[in-house]
Amino acid sequence: MTKYILHRIFWLIVVLLVVSFITFSLMHLVPGGPWDKEKTLAPQVVEALNKKYGLDKPFFVQFGNYLVNLLHGDLGVSYSRQDRSVTSILLTGLPKTATLGAIAFFLAIIIGIPFGMAAALKQNSAIDYISVLFSTIFASIPGFVLGILLIIIFSVTLHWLPTGGWGGIRQIIMPAFALATLPAAFIARITRASTLEVIRQDYIRTAQAMGLQQRVILVRHILRNSLIPVVTVAGPELAFLISGSFIIENLFSIPGIGRLFVNGVFARDYGLIMGSILFYAFAVASINLVVDLLYAVIDPRIRFD
Amino acid sequence: MSDKPLLEVRNLSTYFYTQDGIVKAVDGVSYAVDRGETIALVGESGCGKTVSALSILRLIPEPPGKIASGEILFDGIDILTLPKDRMLDIRGDRIAMIFQEPLTALNPVLTIGLQITEALERHRNMHGAVALEEAIRLLKIVGIPQPDQRVKDYPHQFSGGMRQRAMIALAISCEPELIIADEPTTVVDVTIQAQLLELIRGITEKLNTALILITHNLGIVARYAHRVYVMYAGHIIEHGSSQDIYHHPCHPYTIGLLASVPRLDEPRKTRLQPIEGQPPDLIQLPPGCAFGPRCSYVIDACRQAAPPMTEVSPGHYAACRLAVPDRKQS
Amino acid sequence: MTVITDTVRPHRSLWGDAFIRLRRNRLAVTGGVIILLIALTTIIYPFFSRYDFASQDLNAILQSPSMKHFLGTDELGRDVFTRLIYGARTSLSVGIFTQLIVLGIGLPLGAISGAAGGRADNLIMRFVDVIYAFPDLLLIILLRAILGGSIYMIFLAIGLVSWVNVARLVRGQTLALKQRDFVTAARVFGGFGSYITTRHLLPNSLGPVIVAVTFNIPRAIFAEAALAYIGIGVKPPTPSWGAMIRDGNNVIFAAPHLVLFPAIAIGILMLSFTFLGDGLRDALDPRLRR
Repeated sequence: MTKYILHRIFWLIVVLLVVSFITFSLMHLVPGGPWDKEKTLAPQVVEALNKKYGLDKPFFVQFGNYLVNLLHGDLGVSYSRQDRSVTSILLTGLPKTATLGAIAFFLAIIIGIPFGMAAALKQNSAIDYISVLFSTIFASIPGFVLGILLIIIFSVTLHWLPTGGWGGIRQIIMPAFALATLPAAFIARITRASTLEVIRQDYIRTAQAMGLQQRVILVRHILRNSLIPVVTVAGPELAFLISGSFIIENLFSIPGIGRLFVNGVFARDYGLIMGSILFYAFAVASINLVVDLLYAVIDPRIRFD
Repeated sequence: MSDKPLLEVRNLSTYFYTQDGIVKAVDGVSYAVDRGETIALVGESGCGKTVSALSILRLIPEPPGKIASGEILFDGIDILTLPKDRMLDIRGDRIAMIFQEPLTALNPVLTIGLQITEALERHRNMHGAVALEEAIRLLKIVGIPQPDQRVKDYPHQFSGGMRQRAMIALAISCEPELIIADEPTTVVDVTIQAQLLELIRGITEKLNTALILITHNLGIVARYAHRVYVMYAGHIIEHGSSQDIYHHPCHPYTIGLLASVPRLDEPRKTRLQPIEGQPPDLIQLPPGCAFGPRCSYVIDACRQAAPPMTEVSPGHYAACRLAVPDRKQS
Repeated sequence: MTVITDTVRPHRSLWGDAFIRLRRNRLAVTGGVIILLIALTTIIYPFFSRYDFASQDLNAILQSPSMKHFLGTDELGRDVFTRLIYGARTSLSVGIFTQLIVLGIGLPLGAISGAAGGRADNLIMRFVDVIYAFPDLLLIILLRAILGGSIYMIFLAIGLVSWVNVARLVRGQTLALKQRDFVTAARVFGGFGSYITTRHLLPNSLGPVIVAVTFNIPRAIFAEAALAYIGIGVKPPTPSWGAMIRDGNNVIFAAPHLVLFPAIAIGILMLSFTFLGDGLRDALDPRLRR
C-alpha cells in the first residue's frame, strides 16, 4: 500500500517536471519577447532587463535555475509588475479561487448525489425522468453560458444581484451556481447509474432476506457501494472546478487566479503564466492523488492488492 | 412436535410480466415442510424452484414479477397477506435463506462480522461486543478457522468454500425455524460440497431446523432429504419420500432425470442418456402436460389436458396419466 | 417425436441495427436535425442575406430585435442575426475540423500503443498522462499564443490538446480486442502486425471512437468560444460567438440581447451534439438487447 503511494508521488513529481519543461519551452516559443508591449523599449533597456531576469542565459541554464527556485516555492518574478513575485500575486488570487471552487464543489455534491440516488431508487417515475433530462442538459451546457443567463435574469432584468465582484454571498452565489451545474449534472448521472447497478446486486437481496429495513439497507449497503464510482469522478471534477473556473472568474470579474492568468497572457507576463500553469497542474495532480487514496479507503477490495 | 406442517405452500403462482409475454415461472405449486424436516426441490435450471423459494420470503421484484395467487402458511398464518413490516420481522429471524453465489451475495465493502452483527442487532437485540462475540461463535460453528480474526475480514479475502460457510453462519445467526438453501453447493468443488452438506445437516439436526434444499444435483438429494419434490416448467410433477423417488420413480421426467446421472458403478463405456428436447418456453406453454413434447410415453390425452396428481402409493404422488398405483414395484 | 423450434431473427448488420435504434431516440434525432439545420443555414444564408457580418451602420446601433434587423444590431450597427450565422460557421468548422487532427493523432497513437504494447505503449501513455495533467483550456491558450490567430492554427491548438481521449480509447479497445479469438485466427492465417491493426482492430473500435468524437465536438466549440471571449480567438472581423459575448458584455444592461443570443446559440449547439452523442452511444452499445 505504501509502495503504491510512493509510486504515485514519484509520478506526480515526474509529471510536474515534464509539465514545467513543456510550459517553459512553449513560453520561449511565443513570438515576441516578454517586453513587447505597446511601447517599444530602447534596446539597452531590453538588454538590461534580460540580464536582470537571467533571460540572456542559455535555455537549459534558465530552466535549471527556474527549477531550483521552484523547490524553494519561488515561482519567479512577475514581468509586468516587477516589484512583485509571482508567488505573492498568485496568493492574492488563491483564496478567492479556492473558495469559489470549494463552494461550487459542495453545491455540486449536495445537488448531484441526492438527485441521482432518488432517480435510481424511483426508477421510471417523474423524478427519474426529470433528473435524467436535467442532468443531460446541464452536463452539456458550459457554466459560462449558464452564468450569462443568470446574469441576464438576476442582474440585468431583476436587479437582484450584482453582475460580479467579490465580497459576500450576493457576489458569490451566481458564479458558484454557474460553476457547479456541470459537475452536479455529471455527478447526478454517475450516481444514478451506479445506484441502479448496486440495487440489482445480490447482496442487496441478501440484506432484504435478513429482514433489514429499507432505510438501513439504503444507508449501509447501497450508499457506500454507490458512491465508489462517484468518488472516482469527484477528483477530476474538483480539478475541473479549479481550472475551469477561470472563464467564470472572468465573467463575474472575480479577482482570482483565473483572471490573473488571463491578464498575464495578454501582458505576456511569462512569469505569471508559467506560475499559474504550474500551480494548476500541481493542484490537479495532487487532488487526483488524494482522490485515488480516498478510493482505496472506501473500497476494501483495492486496499489489499 | 405438532402435526401441522411448519410451512405450507398452497397453489402458489408467481408470474413475470414481460414485454414478450407472461412468464409463468411458478404455476399452481404446492408443497409442505414439517418442523425439523428436510425436503428437496429438484429440477433443471429455470423450472421455478428458486422463484418459489423467493416467493416464500416475498423477495420477488414487484415489477415485473408478481405473486399472482395462492397461500403460504407459515406456522398457520398466511404470510402473503402480512403487512410489509411484519414480513421483515420474519425474514432472517424465523425464515432464513442461503444463496447460491456467496461472492455476490455478500456485500464486498463490509466485513463479514459486520454483516452478521447487523442481523443480530436487528433480530436478537445484540449490540457491540456481545454481538461481535456471537458472530465469532457462529463462525466457529460453521468451521471457519481463527474466527476472531476472520470476523474482521472482507468477503473477497475468503475462499469460495469459506465464503459459503460464512453465508451459512449468517443464515443461522438468528436461529430460524426454516432455512431455504438455494443450490448451496453449486459453486464449490465436490469435496467442499460434501463438507458443506454435512455441516448443514449437522446444524439442522441440532437446532431442529426445517430445511428446503433446492438443487439440480440428484446425487445429494437421496442422502440429505427426507422428502423430494420434482419440478418441471413451473409445476410439481412428482413428490414423495426420497426412497420412493429414487427407487420407484413414476413420472417419465423423473425417470429420465435419474437415468441421465452418470454413475461411478457403471462401466465407462455406457453412453449418457440425456432427456430429449429442450426445456419449454414458459411464455408459451403447451395446453396439456408441460413435459408432453419431450415424453417418450406421451398419449393424446396428455396433449389436451394437464394430468392430475395421482397417489401412486401412500405419500407418493405423480402427475402423470401413466402413473397408476399398481405400477410400483418393490 | 421431438420438435425443436427456434425463432429466426432477420439478419441485420451492426450499423443497420444501430441506425434503426438511433432513429428511435427522439432527443438524438432532434439534436441531429438542429445541427443539420444550422449547418445548412450557414451555407445558404450568405447568398440571401441583406447584410454582411462586417457592414456597420452607425445610425442604428444597439437596436432591439425588429423587422429590419431580425435579432437587432450591435454596438457598431452590425446585424446580429447575420453575425450569429457567421459565428455558427466558425463554431461548426472549429468543432468538426479539429476532430480531423484529433483522429489524425489519436487513432494511430492509440492503435500503436495498444497493438504494440511494451515500451512503445509505456512511452506513449506517459506522454498522454502529461498532457492530461494540463488543464486543457490553459494549454490551448498557450498554444494559441504561440501559433497565432488564423483559424487553422486554432484547429491545431485545440486538436493538439484534445486527441488524448481518443488515443486512450483506441488503446483500450485494441488491448481488449487483441485477446480475442479472431485476432489469433488472423495471426494463424498469416496476418501480421500492421495488417491486423488496420483490417481487424481499427474497424472494431470504430463505434466508441465515433461516440467520443461526437462528444469532443462541443468541447472544441466551447474552447473556441472561450478563446474568443478572452480575446484571443479567431482574428476579427471573422465573427465568433465568444467574441460577440465579450463585446456585448460592455453594454449588457443597455442591450442584453447582444450577449443573450450568442450564449443561447452556444448552448443549443453544444446540447445538440451531446444529445446526438448520447444517442449514438446507446445505439452502438452491443449490450443493449433488443
